Amino acid sequence: MTLLATTAGGAISQEKSITIGLTADPSHLYPLAGEELSSNIMYYHLYDPLVQRSPDLSFGPGLAKSWETVDDTTWRFKLREGVTFHNGNAFTASDVVFTVEKARESIRPDLVANIETITAIDDLTVEITTPKPYAVLPNDLAELLILDEDYTIETGDTQMDLEPMGTGPYRLDEWIKEERLVLEAFEDYWAGPPTIDTVTFRPITNPATRTAALLTGEVDVIQDLSVRDVGRVRSEGGFEVLTRPSLLNLVLALDMREESPTIDGSNPMTDQRVREAIARAIDVEAIIEIVMNGLATPSDQFVPASHIGHVDGMDFREMYPVDIETANDLMAEAGYPDGFAMTLDATNDRYVNDAQIAQALASMLAKIDIDLDLNIMPKSNFWGYIRVPTENSSFIMSGWDVPSGDAGSMYASLFYTRDKKEGYGQVNRGSYSNPEVDVLIDQADATPSVDERDRLLQDATRILMADIPMIPVHYEQDIYGVRDGVMLEPRVDKFIWAHDMDVE
Amino acid sequence: MLGYLLKRLIQMTLVLWIVSVIVFLMMSFTGDPVFMVVPIDASDAEIAQARRLLGLDDSLLVQYWKFLTSLVQGDFGQSYVFRQPAMTLILERLPATVELVLVAMVLAIAVAIPLGVYAGANPQGRISRVIMAGSLLGISLPGFWVGMVLIYLFAVNWGMFPSSGRGDTAEILGLRLSVLTWDGWHHVVLPAITLSLATMAIILRITRAGMMEVGRQDFMKFARAKGATRRDVLYRHGLKNALIPVVTIFGLQLGDLIAFATITETIFSWPGMGKLLIDSIYRADRPVIVVYLMLVALIFVVINFLVDVIYTLIDPRIRLK
Repeated sequence: MTLLATTAGGAISQEKSITIGLTADPSHLYPLAGEELSSNIMYYHLYDPLVQRSPDLSFGPGLAKSWETVDDTTWRFKLREGVTFHNGNAFTASDVVFTVEKARESIRPDLVANIETITAIDDLTVEITTPKPYAVLPNDLAELLILDEDYTIETGDTQMDLEPMGTGPYRLDEWIKEERLVLEAFEDYWAGPPTIDTVTFRPITNPATRTAALLTGEVDVIQDLSVRDVGRVRSEGGFEVLTRPSLLNLVLALDMREESPTIDGSNPMTDQRVREAIARAIDVEAIIEIVMNGLATPSDQFVPASHIGHVDGMDFREMYPVDIETANDLMAEAGYPDGFAMTLDATNDRYVNDAQIAQALASMLAKIDIDLDLNIMPKSNFWGYIRVPTENSSFIMSGWDVPSGDAGSMYASLFYTRDKKEGYGQVNRGSYSNPEVDVLIDQADATPSVDERDRLLQDATRILMADIPMIPVHYEQDIYGVRDGVMLEPRVDKFIWAHDMDVE
Repeated sequence: MLGYLLKRLIQMTLVLWIVSVIVFLMMSFTGDPVFMVVPIDASDAEIAQARRLLGLDDSLLVQYWKFLTSLVQGDFGQSYVFRQPAMTLILERLPATVELVLVAMVLAIAVAIPLGVYAGANPQGRISRVIMAGSLLGISLPGFWVGMVLIYLFAVNWGMFPSSGRGDTAEILGLRLSVLTWDGWHHVVLPAITLSLATMAIILRITRAGMMEVGRQDFMKFARAKGATRRDVLYRHGLKNALIPVVTIFGLQLGDLIAFATITETIFSWPGMGKLLIDSIYRADRPVIVVYLMLVALIFVVINFLVDVIYTLIDPRIRLK
């Protein structure tokens, strides 16, 4: 039916094209060279993963048409037949094996961290073993884009960035750095050729210029419409503003060591009552209203409702509603009626209005006599500064998103006891340690059943919500401006997929 | 002349070397580039692997030595972010910047010199006062503001010019240029005006000052006395003698605009190299920053040299030693 509609539409209209204004030019077209949003957007046009992630974060067949578990740690993936790369090379199991091995040597070994071995059983079957039972392997594979073995070897890593070759719905037509990147539809795409024939991406860094380019008709769609231009675009006829809560959860990490770098004497935040008092002093609604122009969604937990490990109906904001009186009582009970002083580390160029949020936090915490010094820096300094073992920080504002749709990887990195197990707790900036949580994460990472994993991670969520090692603040909202006649359904992972779009 | 050239060459090498040292030292304070490349939950082993792949596992001194030795062999190093040669990244963006700057400079001169001569010749006139007031505005209005106002008026409100980008280009001698196509001209107008305003104002004021000074000299009276036309007196006798400071400022401004057209480029998404510098600073991409600043230093040195040569053409009394 879909296919019929597409062909019928194609017959009456002529070539369809669209121009999309992005915030930045991609840095790479070679998926193993690095990742950032603009590059990711290009990757998914040019290449395909084995498992495809839908706009609302469910996972389905991609280049693998089906998969099954052979035993607790062995998976077998059946590959799609008749798939070709843009150069006509056939896609086979050896390309998948090559990609995994290539990734291991690259700057992105994290992509294949949960793959122990991979073997080609026959041309269209691969077998993957994991170091331990790992229920969400397919979710991970949605980020591994398959390369053409022969072509990649021949071309070399550096050149792959300029002459990409995948099986994806679009192929590269022209890339003039910082000016435009043009994709053309791949007629032999395995899922049928995309509706839009030519897609042009233009990098327009300055938000006001991006809005202007939309209003003058130079581009059809813009990413990250500036918050202050939302009203203007809405009032103009012929345009539409689309918003969608993103996956990016802004969180505050609280230090739980006995002594903390920016606090004199012993660290009050080792006491759960102090952490609860801080949570109750922070008015997220006010931040959204005043700092974010209403364009953010309060976080109910550490991961969004779509994720494995989210507990239905549990809401941090209902557990710890804003209440200065209770917060002051808690501080007094914990033995800090006069409060204390510490420093908040935050960025000024990474999250929407991050520096202003930090200022708002300082004035909110002042109400419970916590004297918050602000240490605000650009992101190029930030990540190294706050890096575990967190020698400089007591209180950190950062964001966290989990596009794999599973709380497990986040909990393992952020909440597992530090230095206990390789690959766990490596970003546990507050040194939180709870043996119960560790056990639950261990069990979740040892079960081959997704339902079991969900149950275990939900138990972990309940403990974390009570312990408050971290305060979830809000999810930023992704904002797009589109002209009328463009059909765009924003994806939860913020990627733009032209093959899911249509234009009139 | 040969001795002069040699002296200049040694000076230039020294300047470039000092620039490289300063930039390398500065960059050790601006955060670790590895964290801009790896995912934020990367394990220690993953970070170590990235550090090795980027050549960042050596001490700063060793890194500098490697940089210097490969530089001598003509290798300027690879960008940490793009994994491409830093020089290629800059050179592929250079033509767009130079094109924009040249259009802006031509525009600045075409407007500033006649107005400056007029204002210098009639210092008390009402029109001169208007011109001088306008030039004050040109100096004091910030470029990003002017750019946004031009976009708002000419692109969004009146639809006369596009808001951003470079438009169609045509290729000549391997260089892609906008000024060769009508659509390209259309795109270059607004950014060139934005970029030229400050320079225009400065050149105008210098020309006026020079003309007023020259106007008091005896040879101007002679020129008038021998019956030369007003135009000849002003341009052939007056302007030529007022030009030395104008050429100096012109050279400095030209270098300045090529190096730091960044703001205008960002506002109009003009695909030049200024934006690359800003992005590289944000991403702590040291190789690109080093090569960029060395290239800028080189441009300044070359322009200064050319300015010196032009002096000798304008004023035969000046000799290069």
